[in-house]
Amino acid sequence: MGAAILGNMMMSAQTFTIGWLYPDLMNIYGDRGNILTLQKRAEWRGLDAKIREIQRGTVDDLEDVDVFFFGGGQDREQALIYDDLKAYKQEHLQKAVSAGAQVLAVCGGYQLLGHYYQTADGERYDGIGLIDVTTQAGKKRFIGDVVVQTDIPGLSPSTLVGFENHSGRTFLGPSARPLGKVLHGKGNNGSDGTEGVIQNNVTGTYLHGSLLPKNPQLADHLIGEALKRRGDGALSALDDSAELAAHGWILQRVRRR
Amino acid sequence: MELRKQTAVLAGKATGMLSRLTGRGGGTTLPGDVARAIDPKILTRLAGDLTRGSIVITGTNGKTTTSRLITWLLEGAGHRVVSNRAGANLIFGVTAAALGHAGSDGKLHADWGVFEIDEASLPKAVEEIQPKATVVLNLFRDQLDRYGELESIAKKIESALASGPGSAILNADDPRVAEIGLGLPRKPVWIGIDDDAIASHTLPHAADARTCPHDGATLIFERVYVGHDGVYRCPHGDFARPAPEVCATQIELRGFDSLAMTVNQTRIEMPLGGLYNCYNVLAAYTAARSVGLEDEYIARRLKSFQAAFGRQERIEFRGRHLVLVLSKNPAGFNETVRTAIELAHGTQFIVGLNDRKADGTDVSWIWDVDFEQLQGRATTVIPAGNRAYDLAVRLKYAGVKAEEPQTDPGEALDALIKSTVEGDTAYLLCTYTAMLDLRAELVRRGWAQPYWET
Repeated sequence: MGAAILGNMMMSAQTFTIGWLYPDLMNIYGDRGNILTLQKRAEWRGLDAKIREIQRGTVDDLEDVDVFFFGGGQDREQALIYDDLKAYKQEHLQKAVSAGAQVLAVCGGYQLLGHYYQTADGERYDGIGLIDVTTQAGKKRFIGDVVVQTDIPGLSPSTLVGFENHSGRTFLGPSARPLGKVLHGKGNNGSDGTEGVIQNNVTGTYLHGSLLPKNPQLADHLIGEALKRRGDGALSALDDSAELAAHGWILQRVRRR
Repeated sequence: MELRKQTAVLAGKATGMLSRLTGRGGGTTLPGDVARAIDPKILTRLAGDLTRGSIVITGTNGKTTTSRLITWLLEGAGHRVVSNRAGANLIFGVTAAALGHAGSDGKLHADWGVFEIDEASLPKAVEEIQPKATVVLNLFRDQLDRYGELESIAKKIESALASGPGSAILNADDPRVAEIGLGLPRKPVWIGIDDDAIASHTLPHAADARTCPHDGATLIFERVYVGHDGVYRCPHGDFARPAPEVCATQIELRGFDSLAMTVNQTRIEMPLGGLYNCYNVLAAYTAARSVGLEDEYIARRLKSFQAAFGRQERIEFRGRHLVLVLSKNPAGFNETVRTAIELAHGTQFIVGLNDRKADGTDVSWIWDVDFEQLQGRATTVIPAGNRAYDLAVRLKYAGVKAEEPQTDPGEALDALIKSTVEGDTAYLLCTYTAMLDLRAELVRRGWAQPYWET
């Protein structure tokens, strides 16, 4: 057993809190993989990882959360959390993010953090405006593998792989920058070659897969950035051969096509 | 019109024969394609030839087994039955099955049609077949890339039942199925399980229908049997599990080997394992009763039932006992893993994941499966299928020590031989085409028969 791990066990371990927004309702297709990846990779660094399930209803505050996860939901479930998000969560979430908490939002969660979602009939549903993006319903669903070249400094590999399944077309405003450039697949809108968003500690994306298990470097980036509030955020290296083999398999398949 | 029907039948049958002769598999859907092109009403016409009528079965999990059970019961009682055995459950597959049984006179010479129907195809199937009874087993999340959201599937089933003829046999324990049934103009036949001893009290992560359809409140589950199927109610009293008329109690489960349960005073014992199969047996029992078969006969006949392809099929392979268990989605996989670990005390596994169209091209769902159940209990787990590398990552994060991933089915079987000894039992839990691949390899090596001959 390494000295660093032993040291961590002897001291009371530092807590690392993952805030899971609406885990029962916004959990479409494997988003739990993102939670498990954050949890395990924090634990493997000797952190005491806790999952805080944030359900519907009032909350006192969300200041203890290091990384929030906000997944996608089916329409029926999404309708059930829509008002709740604005009434009970928006303010606390904004406060936590300004204090340095990280947010990963996928698909429906990504759309709801933007300014609005506009349906095919032109009806607008306001989001909470945490990120400078807007989304419009598109006709054709984008379904398939995605490979993105990200420009987050220091990320290795610099590719992100995932699977998209969405009809929304998301466009970035001037305050937002994309998570990366689409090398394969459709991404934000299928027209401007961008995928996802990074803005003020918030990462939004259309990538399922789940996203973080096959992109451990992004998981570590989120954990590290969140920990910067309490130290240098440096994380020890792990054996990622299994994760990177799965990542590489997608890259290879996409190249063969 | 008779001539057109006859031409369609003959052309369809010839296509099926060619498909088999040229080694393109069992010809389970193409003949249907051809015949429907010649006569779009061919299925309605053939269904009209049935002397007694049809029973259709839909739902996310259990369609094939339930269809086979009903067929088994009807055939044993001397009825001639047409069914789509090979699991070709789109409208073309059903048409092909009907063609297969039609004579050279273009007529279907049979008493009953028993058809499993893909959930999304139910409206069309009901319209064309006009069944005497429709069974809805459950609604779980499954292949979002192909089917779309659960809600749109539920709406399709509802419209089919609302406009279709005959009776509806519905699982009261499934909240989304119950919601459909409670909105129907005619009262359905509710089926369900009442047995606290085999129930759990917490929902699995992948549960979908967990809110009240009227006020959106989180449902209270007093019992959970399979996935989100159980005994539930809205805390505000405006929605609750309908009381089942046909009810399974006193359930006994013995691994994948057998189950026993009491259905309205009749004790049923049969060689099929797993709690999820209790629902399939219950549905088949209810369908059989609705067409006049008697309790005593049903119980006797079920004792000698044989499972369908990949549904708890057993194959001997170089001294190892293989148990093949199809596992297609989170709800199904959770149950097959649970049965293998807790009831069968299995320790050796091949877990197979493919991402072809029939499996679903998005493999994200493996993160909804509680593979954590294998942790500390399974001694050998071989990730297989073209997405074996994804499975290996899933198993790693579940704390399960897995072998090297094997994307080639032959190499997966070789790896199994290496890590097991003669006399061992290994469970093959696989998605549809991953199972086909492993099975084809076993056929190639002479250990199994091609599935369309079983």
